[in-house]
Formats: sequence, C-alpha cells, structure tokens
Amino acid sequence: MGVPVAHVPTVTGERPGRLSRMLRPLAFMSLPTSVLVLLFLVPMGILVYFSFQYGDLTGQSGFTLTNFSDILSDPLYREIAWTTFQIATIAMIAQLIVGIPLAYVLAYKAGRFELPLLLALVLADELNPMVRIYAWRMLLGREGLINEALMSIGLINVPIDALLFNKFSVIVVLSTSYLTYTVIPIYASMKAVDAGLFEAARDMGAGWFTTFRRVLLPLIAPGIFIALLLVYVPLFTDFAAPTLVGGTTGYMLGNVVSDLVLENGNLNAGAAMSFLMLLAAGLFSLVAYQLSRVRQGAR
Amino acid sequence: MPLSRRIQRALPNALSIGLTGLVMVILFGPVMLLALFSFNDSTVISLPWEGFTTKWYSEALNDDGAMTAIGNSVMVASIVTVVSLILGTLASWGLTRIPFRGRPLVAGVHGAVLVVPWLIIGVAGLIFFSQIQMMLSLQTIILMHIVVTFPLVVAVVSAGLIRFNPSLEEAAIDMGASQLQMMRYIVLPQIAPSLAAAAIFAFAWSFNNFEISFFTGGFEQTFPVWVYGVLRHSSNLPVVNAASTVIALAQVLLVFALWYGMKLMTRRRGGTDRDAADLVTGAVR
Repeated sequence: MGVPVAHVPTVTGERPGRLSRMLRPLAFMSLPTSVLVLLFLVPMGILVYFSFQYGDLTGQSGFTLTNFSDILSDPLYREIAWTTFQIATIAMIAQLIVGIPLAYVLAYKAGRFELPLLLALVLADELNPMVRIYAWRMLLGREGLINEALMSIGLINVPIDALLFNKFSVIVVLSTSYLTYTVIPIYASMKAVDAGLFEAARDMGAGWFTTFRRVLLPLIAPGIFIALLLVYVPLFTDFAAPTLVGGTTGYMLGNVVSDLVLENGNLNAGAAMSFLMLLAAGLFSLVAYQLSRVRQGAR
Repeated sequence: MPLSRRIQRALPNALSIGLTGLVMVILFGPVMLLALFSFNDSTVISLPWEGFTTKWYSEALNDDGAMTAIGNSVMVASIVTVVSLILGTLASWGLTRIPFRGRPLVAGVHGAVLVVPWLIIGVAGLIFFSQIQMMLSLQTIILMHIVVTFPLVVAVVSAGLIRFNPSLEEAAIDMGASQLQMMRYIVLPQIAPSLAAAAIFAFAWSFNNFEISFFTGGFEQTFPVWVYGVLRHSSNLPVVNAASTVIALAQVLLVFALWYGMKLMTRRRGGTDRDAADLVTGAVR
C-alpha cells in the first residue's frame, strides 16, 4: 500500500529530506517505468481501443462492437477455439503427468544428479524453439526418421501419415516446448515439503497413492497452479507450432490472430481477437492465482 | 531377501531412472539427430546414411538469408541484454530497497508484462508502431524485446537482492562510504551471480523470441523468423539443419560457460552450487 514511510530507516543513514525522499525513487524508477508505460501500457491501450473501432477503405472510422459480435457468432471461430482448447488442455495434462513425477524424482531421488538435471531442463528451454519444431518435423514426417526406421526393420510397410500435420504433432511439440516451466515450479514447491511427512504417512499405513493424494498433492498445489499460469496460458496463443506441424486440423487461435493481422491486414478484428484472448488469459490467471493462495491459506 | 521384496525395493529407482532418461531423450534426442543429419550427404533428411559431408555448413555460410538473420539476432539479443540489465537493475533496486508511494502498483505492472502472451504483445506493438508511423525494423524489434525482457531481469535480480541483508549497505554508509562506493563494493559483488543468471535468460529470451520479432520486424528477419519462413515454404532444408546445429551448439556452450562463471562467483563468496541453482530456478518461480 502507498503508505508514507517517514520512520523507516533508510540505507543512507542520515535522515533524508523530503526532496531526496522523492528524488531517490525517481532516480531509479523513472526510466524503467517510462519504458513500461510507453512500450507496454500504451500499446495495450491502443490494442483495446482498436478492437472497438471500425475502419473501411473510404477512411471512415468510429466506435463499434461488430468486431466482437463477428468473432463470437462465427461457427468457424468457435470450432477453432474448441480445437485450441483441446490441444492446450491435452498438452498441459500430458506435461503434468510427466512433470509431477519428474519433479518428484528431482526433488527427492536424484541425489548428486539433481543439479545437472535441473541445468539440463533449463538448457532445454534455452534451445531455440524453431530448431526444436524443425527437429520434430524431421522425425515425424512421412519420410521422417521414425517412419524410415520402422520400415527398415519391417515393422510397417507403408509410412504412417498420422504422425505429422495434425493435432497429435502439435501436442507433441508444445508439450516438449514448455516442460521446463511445468517442472520447475512444481519442483520448487516440493523442495519446501518436509520429506519426513512421507514416512509419517507410511507409518500410519497409507499407500503411495494415498500419500501422494492426501499429503504431497495439497502441499504442491501452489506450484501446480504457477505451472498452469506459466504454461497453460501461452499454450493457447502459440501459433508457430500449429503453423509448422499442425496442417489443416491443427489450426489454432494464434493462427487466426496472425492471419487476421498479417494476411488480411484487418487490424481491428485482430485486435478484438487478441483482446478476447487477453481477457480469457487474465480471468484464468486470476482464478489460478486465487486458488494457489486459498490452497496455501488452508494449510 | 525374497525376490518380490527386492523387486519392490528396486522398482522405484528403476522407474525414476527410466522416467528421467525418457524425458531427456524426448527433450534432446530430436535436436541431436538434427545435428547428426546435418553431416549427411543427402538433400533429404532421412535414412539411409549417405555419407559424411560438411557441405551444408559451407552452404549455410554462403546463404545470405541465414547469415543476415543470425547476425541480426546476435545484435538484437546483445543490445537487449545490455539495456535490460541496466533497466532491470535500476528497477529491482527501486522496488526492493526504496519505499515509495504506489510501489505495489509499479511492481504489478512489471509482473503483468511477464504473463501477457507474446503474441498479444506483438500485435499490440505492430498496431502501436503503425499508429505513431514508425517503420517496422530491427529497431522496433529491439524496443519491444526490451520491454518484455527487462521485467525478467527485475524478477531475477530482485530475488537476489531480497536474499541479501541490507544492514551491510547501512554499515558501509555508516563507515563513510559514498553511495557509489557502497554500490560498487557491497551491492555489485553480492548481486553479480544474479546478474549473470539474468544475462543468460535475457539473451535467450531475445534470441529465441519468435512472436514479437515476427509481428514487429517488418521485412527484417531474426533467426527464428528466418527458420519459420524457410520451413513454411519448403521442407527439410539441410541448410536450416546446419545453421540450427551451429546455433544450438552455441547456446549450449553459452549456458555452460555462464553456469560455470556463476558457480565460481557463488563459491568465491562461500556459497554452494545449490545457491547458484537457486538463482537459475528462482527466475521461473
């Protein structure tokens, strides 16, 4: 809260005068804050403004809600939104299924391999996402390495086309792209859990699943919510992976925005779509954040 | 010990190793195969192995598109890293050490940048620059990269500043150090590992950033935008393969170099590798 802080001892040692008390935050904060206002808040404001505007070739423009009603009433967009939801949700669940046990291994089992594995996860994230998409395409394609290998050992006669250019390949690429951000928050929340609790649970006769569900899961819930915040939201807006490995069935909302803005040059519709996605993302983040706090408070 | 009991004992370990191995293979296997096949003497990336060659590397070297894009990305990421470190260090000092009115709000805006998807920031940037009639170019890419990257530096460096006790700073001032001396001899050495971690992340964020570069770059291409363009219009180009391998290798080396630098720095201050790892993972938390 913006409470004036007259009696907080400051770093300078001497009692700063009123002027210096105002100047010191300015000296440090004015530059970063101006950058944020000018290049983040103003552009976002213009984006929202544009989503409520129409502009046609005759140069006329003004306030309108049609950008939104067009999007919301279009069955094609609804279908793409549903596809996007499916892909993002399956990719998220897949990451949690792999990520929670992996975080567990890292936190409690890895021993001297803990730090190298952690570094490997960070490194995986630092690798260029385009390079990764490209590598997967090379593996999954009709003449890709997986098909070639399966055919050369005689397991299949015709290449499997179902590996690339569909929802499956998008899910594979997206799951592997964000895994670092799923594992690390969960790992971090596990590090804070006292491992003695597991023994206590076992001594009281709980099996591993009960221990997981009743002891570990409630304690790492905040970490899981942070992972959702960091991963689930960007999954909805990704458009490089669906363009490059999605084919026609893996077309997502991010592609809609990109096509509206860059192919059709319809900035107003693109802005409206972005604004709707931003609202959804904001709402989801708020809920996830609140849930993570409720969970923590309940302990 | 009966066999069933021994299996029961060994199973969790085997599962742990199996899971970890599987994840590592899935994360790094494809990129390693990509590197391997960049040396294959064939225009299509597939089996059988046609023979060893380095010709794709010399072709990549002579490919104007590839070299320009890589050059652009290195330049953009370097500028963005330096500017983000400066802005981010200023802001994290202000947000952790100086109490002022409206601080939670300002901190909130810094955090908000990190959760807004890059696609939306890219679109907003495109509309913004078209409104102020600024030509889309590397400059506009740099501006937008800075605004999404420096709050990450704030997150990493603030975490470092919170860990370390301000009474040292007060003691330095009490003993007659100037503000500048206090910063130079007390604060800087303490936050140096955080700054190194922040530099790794800032460079990677900018270098790997596709969405924002794609929307705000106009006709100028960074490396991810170039790969995207090539992949979109044709498939399996061995030149992309070679260029990607070089980039991946450079990124691996860079991360390792900075990691060892950070380890050295934290050890010299009596910290452990654990502390260095905390700095890296702290950014994600």
